[in-house]
Amino acid sequence: MTGHGLLALLVICQLAAPALALVAVGFPTLVGRAPSETFTRRVVGGGFGAAFAAGLLTLAALAFRGFRPEVVHLGSWFSVGHHDATIDLVADALSVPYVCFSTGLCLLVNLFAGKYLHREPGFTRFFILLALFGTGMNLMVLAGSIDVLFAGWEFVGISSTLLIGFFLERGNAVRAALRAFITYRVCDVGLLMASVVIHRAVGSGDFERLFGIDWPSGTCLVPAATATVISLLLVFATLGKTAQVPFSGWLARAMEGPTPSSAIFYGALSIHAGAYVLLRCEALLEQAPLAQWALIVIGTGTAIHATLVGSVQTDLKSTLAYASMAQASLILVEIGLGWRVIPLVHVVSHAILRSLQILRSPSALHDRHELEAALGGHPGAGNGRRRRWLPARWECGLYRVAIERGYEEMVVGDFVVRPIHRLFERAAAAERWWIEWLAGDRVRGRR
Amino acid sequence: MIENLSPETARDWILPAALAAIAAPLAGSVLAALGVARRMPRRLAVTSASCALAAAMAVTLLWEAGGGHAVTFGEKVGGGWPLHIDGLAAVLLPYIALVELAVVLVAPRRALEEGAVMRTFLCTAATLALVCTSHPGLMVPLWVATVLPVWLSTKANPGGRTAARVFAVYLAASTACLAAGVAMLVADPPWERSSGLTGVAGGWLVAIAVMIREGIFPFHSWYPALFSGAPMSTALTATMPQVGAYTAVRLLVGHADGVASELELISQAALVTSVYGAALATVQRDLRGFIGFLALSQSAVVLAGLSGTLPMELNGAFCLWISSGIAITGIGLVTWALESRAGTIPLDSLQGRFWDAPALAGFFLLFGMATIGLPGTFSFIAGDLMVSGTLDDQLHAGLMVIVSTVLSGIAVMRCWFHVFGGPSAVDSPRHAILRREQVPMTVLFLTLVAMGLNPRPVITMLERAATQILERSPPADEGHGHDAAHLAPPARTPFALPEKKGTPRC
Repeated sequence: MTGHGLLALLVICQLAAPALALVAVGFPTLVGRAPSETFTRRVVGGGFGAAFAAGLLTLAALAFRGFRPEVVHLGSWFSVGHHDATIDLVADALSVPYVCFSTGLCLLVNLFAGKYLHREPGFTRFFILLALFGTGMNLMVLAGSIDVLFAGWEFVGISSTLLIGFFLERGNAVRAALRAFITYRVCDVGLLMASVVIHRAVGSGDFERLFGIDWPSGTCLVPAATATVISLLLVFATLGKTAQVPFSGWLARAMEGPTPSSAIFYGALSIHAGAYVLLRCEALLEQAPLAQWALIVIGTGTAIHATLVGSVQTDLKSTLAYASMAQASLILVEIGLGWRVIPLVHVVSHAILRSLQILRSPSALHDRHELEAALGGHPGAGNGRRRRWLPARWECGLYRVAIERGYEEMVVGDFVVRPIHRLFERAAAAERWWIEWLAGDRVRGRR
Repeated sequence: MIENLSPETARDWILPAALAAIAAPLAGSVLAALGVARRMPRRLAVTSASCALAAAMAVTLLWEAGGGHAVTFGEKVGGGWPLHIDGLAAVLLPYIALVELAVVLVAPRRALEEGAVMRTFLCTAATLALVCTSHPGLMVPLWVATVLPVWLSTKANPGGRTAARVFAVYLAASTACLAAGVAMLVADPPWERSSGLTGVAGGWLVAIAVMIREGIFPFHSWYPALFSGAPMSTALTATMPQVGAYTAVRLLVGHADGVASELELISQAALVTSVYGAALATVQRDLRGFIGFLALSQSAVVLAGLSGTLPMELNGAFCLWISSGIAITGIGLVTWALESRAGTIPLDSLQGRFWDAPALAGFFLLFGMATIGLPGTFSFIAGDLMVSGTLDDQLHAGLMVIVSTVLSGIAVMRCWFHVFGGPSAVDSPRHAILRREQVPMTVLFLTLVAMGLNPRPVITMLERAATQILERSPPADEGHGHDAAHLAPPARTPFALPEKKGTPRC
């Protein structure tokens, strides 16, 4: 087997391993023969382990050849007219380290969740969704075309939603999941339209035709106007998953899901998915100053918002959610500033730290309670720094803004969601009235 | 075995296979009416539907083995032939038969009494016959034959009186428009030359008939009402084959002077309907209403794509026809299975059904996601082609398709969480999924996945069909009779686009 063939096989293995684990656990469960906990944990863990090992080997092979990118063409998926959907995967200095990092993290969370969710009614469901997430994440990271990236992006969104609503018996969890899904769907419009614009501009979804696959020094191959349109659409697409203002309301509520999924989704991988897409397309962003400015402005605004709101949260998971949001915003600012390696390092370091914090949070609370019991009272918390810098009136005003989450949700709810919902409700009522009238039920009812 | 046949032999066998596909449900209907197998109605129903599916698949394979040319029998009248098997018919036949087989497998025992089976199979036989013909004169009685059993079934259903009345009002108007329109089109055919006033009026009447039959705004109210009031088998059999869309393809596409202006109107109205249906699906108070509006939205998107001037738009519409049909059938069947356990399911609060039927929750989610383009399923490809095609063709159309997709997604997820989320009732019984429910649902989903992972065969068939429909090429040999299979020229080249949209007809 040639070096190219071996590299292609390793790249396919990174994708296939979690996908096979998903099928191996998901299909028997669907047909009513759910596997045992041990089997589930081992198969999913094995899938991530195999992908991780393949990733490390690919990384070594890439390092050996000086990180020259390798594009794996798996052929054309389908083709109609000028629309050619190709299945291309890219192994380069961005995707392979990211796959190692993400599958490694999934493997650790798999180990953690095996104990944490032991005998939980949704044990198998959790691992199916984790495998779906891992498959989607690897698909997105290794994507060499916008079609493949979109498929992975959708898997990440679906698994994220279902894990937020994991505890289906809790109304709050269900509402939080629905809220997250609506945000994702709205922002997915950006990626869908970007896909169409890319197909229209270069005749296929291949990134190779859009920019040089030579991260971090790729060059844009399309005119600046096209690059600007695509970049702006991509920026819009990322706002949902990275929880940027005005789409940030779902993140704190997303902590309704089980702790291991919160760690991997909202502390580590899902929240940085948008940043990854922007890093992948950084050559386009370079040609689109408008999109860069949009990133800087939105990122800065969200960072301030998240810091302010996070400082008044009274529970640990919400505080961590807003801290994640602030860091994700800063990463977007860094990408907007045209930096390439620094945001990637920031993503990895933040993801590791935050997932550790979230995984640790249940036992941290336990420790805190023990500490309080030992001290015989509240240990206290110092928040005097802000008092030193701000006058009392400002302090109160800021506190009110922060406790209301910057009025973001109120504005979006009152001026966007509720009017639309009311309109739909009225149309539905009119429909019912019309059907009753047409069938003669209304007249008879009055008599 | 079929692949080894010579193209001529394969074409010779298409007619018997197509007739067998139609005869199987017809025989099932007659036997049910005669009271045969009264004690084992499911066996009769499943046998009939299985035979229809086998024969329909044989048609598809024979058509492919015959070189993928349009095969026609009989004398051409108006724009079509009494029997016309092209790529669209070759794909639609097994699709309709598969839906029917899944429906009779999942149907609860009480839905399989003789009258219900007779009406359902009569409707299926008429639908299969309809998609095998492009003859305008034959399409009218077959159209009526697809409507009447639906009305009778709805009327016979407890609580279906309102739906039956609404259905009767709309579909009577639609049938009258179709009959008058077809008569005018035959008198002044627009397929070979530009038509006069009679042909134009006929085209508009057919367009109105199609709009009503497809539930296009403002003629849409019967569609969700049927899902609410009719048995699920009736609602699915009546709507999933999309008889209206098929009629539009045969009678309104491929006119000599380009895209018919009435088709453009249908397309714009269908776009509005797709958004409207999806929007209303997000606020429905019961599961049946949700399915009705979701199906309405999806069928409207299909119809919107049929007036496309771009290959991917038309092909995307055909793909969506199949994929959304299978997915919505899946949702309908899961709903039926849930209702057979717990009665009607409201959506105004969390119902907590997950704990009662986790496997059904899984299938509902998979079919729901497939409706909105789950990656890896055929719906993803159909959605991709539709969005790309419509955005390429008309920006506003593409945006409306995207908005419709977004709203449909929200509606599906809201519905799933409302049906399956929430605390379980303490005394609620646990119902394992039955084998007769599990098998068809698994097969339907695997069909979507198989076509999604390897979409080329279906896309190629539909591409050829679209080319043949757009070109409306007359057969090479104008012979008549069963022994003279007329072959349209092979369509292996990319699409020949019709004339520019908006060309005046007179």
